[in-house]
Amino acid sequence: MLQAAFLILALPLAGFVLLAIFGRRLGDPAAGYLGALAIAAAFVSALVTWAGLLALPSASRQYQQHLFGWFSAGSLKVPVALLVDPLSMTMALFVTGVATLIHLYSVGYMRGDPQYSKFFVYLNLFVFSMLTLVLSNNLVLTFLGWEGVGACSYWLISFWFHRPSAASAGKKAFIYNRVGDVGFLVAMFLIFDKTHTLNYTAIFAALHGGMLSGPVVTVALLLLFLGAVGKSAQIPLYPWLVDAMEGPTPVSALIHAATMVTAGVYLMTRMSPLLAVSQTASVVVASVGVITAFVAAAAACAQQDIKRVLAYSTVSQLGYMFLAVGAHAYVAAIFLMVAHAFYKALLFLGAGSVIHGMHDEQDIKRMGGLRRYMPVTAATFVVAWLAIGGVPPLAGFWAKGDVLLNAWADARWMWAVGLLTALLTAYYIGRETVLVFYGPERWRSLGPTSASDRSDAHGNASSDPHEAPAVMTLPLVVLAAASVLGGLLNLPFSGMDVLTHWLSPVVTAPRILSLGVSARWTLEAADAVVALLGVALAVGLWRKRSDRQALEPHWLLAGWGLDEAMDRIFARSGTRLAAVAADGDTRVIDGAVMGVARAVRYGGARLRLLQSGYVRNYALGIALGTVVILGYIVSRAAL
Amino acid sequence: MEQYLGVFVLIVLGALFAALSFTASRLLGPSKPTVAKRAPYECGIVPNLEPVQRFPVRFYLVAMIFIIFDIEVVFLYPWAVIYSQLRLFGLAEMVVFAAAVVVAFAYLVSNGALDWGPRKRIQPTVSYERTAETTLRRLPPGGRAA
Amino acid sequence: MAVIAGALAIPHISYISILPELIAMGAPMVMLLWSATTRSGGPGRWTAFTVVASVAAFLASVEIWVKVGTHPYTAVAGAILVDRFSAFLSGIFAVAMGLFALLAHDWAVREDESGPELPALGMLSASGAMLMAAAGDLVVVFLGLEIMSIALYVMAAMNRRRLASGEAALKYFVLGAFSSAIFLYGIALTYGATGTTNIARIASYLASNVVVSNGVLLAGMAMLIVGLGFKVAAVPFHTWSPDVYQGSPSPVTAFMSAVAKAAGFAALVRVLMEAMGTLRLDWQPAIYVLAVLSLVVGGILTVVQRDVKRMLAYSSISHAGFVLAALQSASAAGRSALAYYVAAYTLMIIGSFAVAGHVGGPGDRSQDLSSYRGLSSRHPAVGFAFTILLLGQAGAPFTTGFLAKFYVVSAAVGNGSYTLAVVAMLSAVVTAFFYLRIVLGLYGSEEPSTPEGPPGVLEPQPALVGSVGEPQASHGAEERGSVVVPEVLVAASATQVIEVSEVGAGTSVVLALCAAATVVLGVWPSPLLDLAKAATIIF
Repeated sequence: MLQAAFLILALPLAGFVLLAIFGRRLGDPAAGYLGALAIAAAFVSALVTWAGLLALPSASRQYQQHLFGWFSAGSLKVPVALLVDPLSMTMALFVTGVATLIHLYSVGYMRGDPQYSKFFVYLNLFVFSMLTLVLSNNLVLTFLGWEGVGACSYWLISFWFHRPSAASAGKKAFIYNRVGDVGFLVAMFLIFDKTHTLNYTAIFAALHGGMLSGPVVTVALLLLFLGAVGKSAQIPLYPWLVDAMEGPTPVSALIHAATMVTAGVYLMTRMSPLLAVSQTASVVVASVGVITAFVAAAAACAQQDIKRVLAYSTVSQLGYMFLAVGAHAYVAAIFLMVAHAFYKALLFLGAGSVIHGMHDEQDIKRMGGLRRYMPVTAATFVVAWLAIGGVPPLAGFWAKGDVLLNAWADARWMWAVGLLTALLTAYYIGRETVLVFYGPERWRSLGPTSASDRSDAHGNASSDPHEAPAVMTLPLVVLAAASVLGGLLNLPFSGMDVLTHWLSPVVTAPRILSLGVSARWTLEAADAVVALLGVALAVGLWRKRSDRQALEPHWLLAGWGLDEAMDRIFARSGTRLAAVAADGDTRVIDGAVMGVARAVRYGGARLRLLQSGYVRNYALGIALGTVVILGYIVSRAAL
Repeated sequence: MEQYLGVFVLIVLGALFAALSFTASRLLGPSKPTVAKRAPYECGIVPNLEPVQRFPVRFYLVAMIFIIFDIEVVFLYPWAVIYSQLRLFGLAEMVVFAAAVVVAFAYLVSNGALDWGPRKRIQPTVSYERTAETTLRRLPPGGRAA
Repeated sequence: MAVIAGALAIPHISYISILPELIAMGAPMVMLLWSATTRSGGPGRWTAFTVVASVAAFLASVEIWVKVGTHPYTAVAGAILVDRFSAFLSGIFAVAMGLFALLAHDWAVREDESGPELPALGMLSASGAMLMAAAGDLVVVFLGLEIMSIALYVMAAMNRRRLASGEAALKYFVLGAFSSAIFLYGIALTYGATGTTNIARIASYLASNVVVSNGVLLAGMAMLIVGLGFKVAAVPFHTWSPDVYQGSPSPVTAFMSAVAKAAGFAALVRVLMEAMGTLRLDWQPAIYVLAVLSLVVGGILTVVQRDVKRMLAYSSISHAGFVLAALQSASAAGRSALAYYVAAYTLMIIGSFAVAGHVGGPGDRSQDLSSYRGLSSRHPAVGFAFTILLLGQAGAPFTTGFLAKFYVVSAAVGNGSYTLAVVAMLSAVVTAFFYLRIVLGLYGSEEPSTPEGPPGVLEPQPALVGSVGEPQASHGAEERGSVVVPEVLVAASATQVIEVSEVGAGTSVVLALCAAATVVLGVWPSPLLDLAKAATIIF
């Protein structure tokens, strides 16, 4: 059973290879179904492996599968080996599960695109990389997956690369991620320097063996966190995720909501034994998380683009996850990650469905009343809204409640900010839902914005919005069910906290809450009240009107101006610096290179004269060489 | 130096034999030269140097085949001397050796190394790299005489 | 041999220990007999037979590798050493033999040759190479050397319609005989100094005796180095190689550059490291100088060539410099670096010459750099594979070439030879320029132009062309060895128009295998690296 673990990786890889070779011949939609099948098979193997893990006693649920040695240099030995434990299995299960649904959805969404098969090639490669990231038993292989998902994300964001905005968004994502990757790399060097290993279990053993001093742990964690900040789009490295919405919507759902962006949270959770001993790092992680959560939520309140709202929302929710990680509530982080994957993927797919139905319209101000035309999409979107808003008893209520409880136990101000963010969350998704699906049908009067330059494949104009085909709505329904029932994973009642028990061998147990039962219920009730307040606000404010300038200030629309600031500080000064460097390059480096090249050419032109073509000269050369070598060696002889 | 005595005697004997043969033929053979007899040809222009002799290349092939078997026989002599000590091992090794030579011989024969008649396989007589252009270049307007 | 009066010690011969050699020698015999009895059919059957024999020889090598483990022994009265090193190299030679047969097939089809000679000679030559790697006696080294070389001389002349081919064979033969004589003299002197030609006994003699007057011994050693230095084309014994590589048919060049060099290095390891390890301090400086010269001269002369086969010849001289650098370190790391380099290099160079054979066209004539322009648009797969192979030779990361160079340099550094390491890296940079120049050309646009076109037009690197005073003139007489090549034929080959020709099946297979191995083993180096380490761990 456990031996099936390698299949989880092998099947998406096989899918990728097959699609890369035969994809174009399979065409539309066979290539899509092949891709979906590969991921579904990986999901099944994940289930099988999971069953194998369940069969083990709770304390010894860890299995390492050594596939082959990858490379070794000195004492550094890097194998391609998998670590199967509750944490990695949780990740593998939800990654493959959500990815299967999104693949299926993409079969319909991408139909008619000229690069149909290429899309699935990238998507399968992405799933393979993501699974490598979570299943690896060492930091190097994780880093390989980390870079792999980054590369796939880059390709997929700029999938419609003929749109300049998509191309530059891809570049932006790449560069922001590189900044974070530097942190990851340096952290690896540091850890290897101190422990002589990069294997997770061995690092933790070294930690307990006292090979890592406190400051080293803190520095290493902060460096890793820099990587996580880049990948998971936290302050100050989040603007790329908002621009990443230029990619096809299934990509936004899979990569930029459900899976890849949670890699940072996974990494920090994986490193939780280190976090447990560094209070400084924990506080930094939690603070960055909660501030990001609030800032992004506020920015989401003013967005006009259906996907940008969701992008800011993702940044905000990821902030919640880091808040949980920083508060040592790793289970809560994973719980929120899984729940978020369900409802955020649902929101994105719903948004995709709307965009699809509205013929590539993305401005929510030009929508309205769509529930009559797209009943399934509307119903599932509302479910997702209530779930993310934290309305009981949906998944979001339990997951966010868990995080906020731990925040309360950790630091009160974080809890307060978190609660305010919860209010905003219920409000801004509500604003979006109401503007899109309720109210007057504004699209009739306003007409399309710039559909002409959006060249999604399905630009064939027919007048009314329409519901998506079954292959697209089926994943919506499944995800909606998961969003409703996701809370069952970890209910805060004794005996029903499945996830806590399941993950207990891997992550240090959550700080024993010194909260009485009544305090807990009070806090949970506060969450519920805040959520309902947010929902009510949204409906009340936006049911009838679609323009409230006061509530959508420009600085919020521009995302607190962070993007602009980054551009001004780094990009422009960087360009100036690059110009200076380039000048120096031509003068100094190129000069040296050209000088060497000239010297080589000159030397060659002289040397080749020795190559006369006459055997007698060659023989003479050999004879002279012999004499010199003979003379030299014999001169060493003690005659 | 004692062991080289036999070699030395052989050299002396060989030289003696050669000298004796030449002297004997000079003495015993009839010799009545005339001017016409001493000329290379009995008509035409008297050449002032000997023309280069042309051998068919097959002559070399046959000579090489001969050498191969010559060497085989040379090897057979010492082998035969200690054959009784080598027994079956010696026989087997010599069979292998002889087989290798025979295979080579069979290959040569099948490729016509011993055919003295006209060539059976027609090889292109024109150079592979020869084109109309190169032919023109080789044969300038004046024709072959140029 | 040693005939003892009275009882004659009949050597026990373990045939299984020399099975790869036996297969490589027996198969051509069978093939010749077969060709003597049947007349019909093309070269396909010879190719198939040779490939089968190569696989058999490879499996036999694997069998020996597995069986011998870490307990080497001698066979055939000490004349053959059976250890993992010999098994590793016979495996390489078996692979080279198979790849050569595939290339020779395409060549034979193109040149309309149907005889078994080329693959048969290839196998014989490989058997000599295997013998050199497994030799336990200097006389056996010489025997292997001659079996290998004589077959190669004939193979070089195989293109009977091309004068350059005959010229190559003649030059190779004359100079090869010259170097063989020197090698043989070295054996004689070594015998005179130590009283034996057996490698193990030389080693034990040198270990247990202090040779007071060691002039004869050292002179013998120097001559052995020269003889083998000729085979591996180390500067200054390299002069034959550009002319021979250029003139020989491309498959033969591929085979020659891979097998003859690998065998030469194997023999150098046997002679210098195994037999004369105690004289390390005497031979190290000599090898050091040969390495530096090969790296510098090979690297510099690579860059100024326009004929791609000549370029590859010079670049393989610089490769030889790398291997010599590994040899010079005289350490365990150096030995495994050497084994790894030889294995990686074999695949890369055979693949590269496979492309040269394809581009060369009938008679191997179009080898000018301009003939490679636009190859990628004509045959994208070939262009891609060639790119991989060239980048591999340049030592780009994620290829076996990078790791090979890396291990050599780290072995040199481990030995304290920092200067040599720096020279090696600089040479890698200089030759990288040449490889990249070809690669750029591959993806450049196709310009139907003759080499006589205006200078600079064909240069992919216009920035550098200005520094060359004589971009075209110097490819003339002194480089071509035009003593034999008549002007007429030179002109005829130069005006050849590039045609889009089919890529042969054998060439495709070879390219796919070589390129895939270069990348796969570069990304996942453990298997080959572990093999190379295991092959050289016991000495």
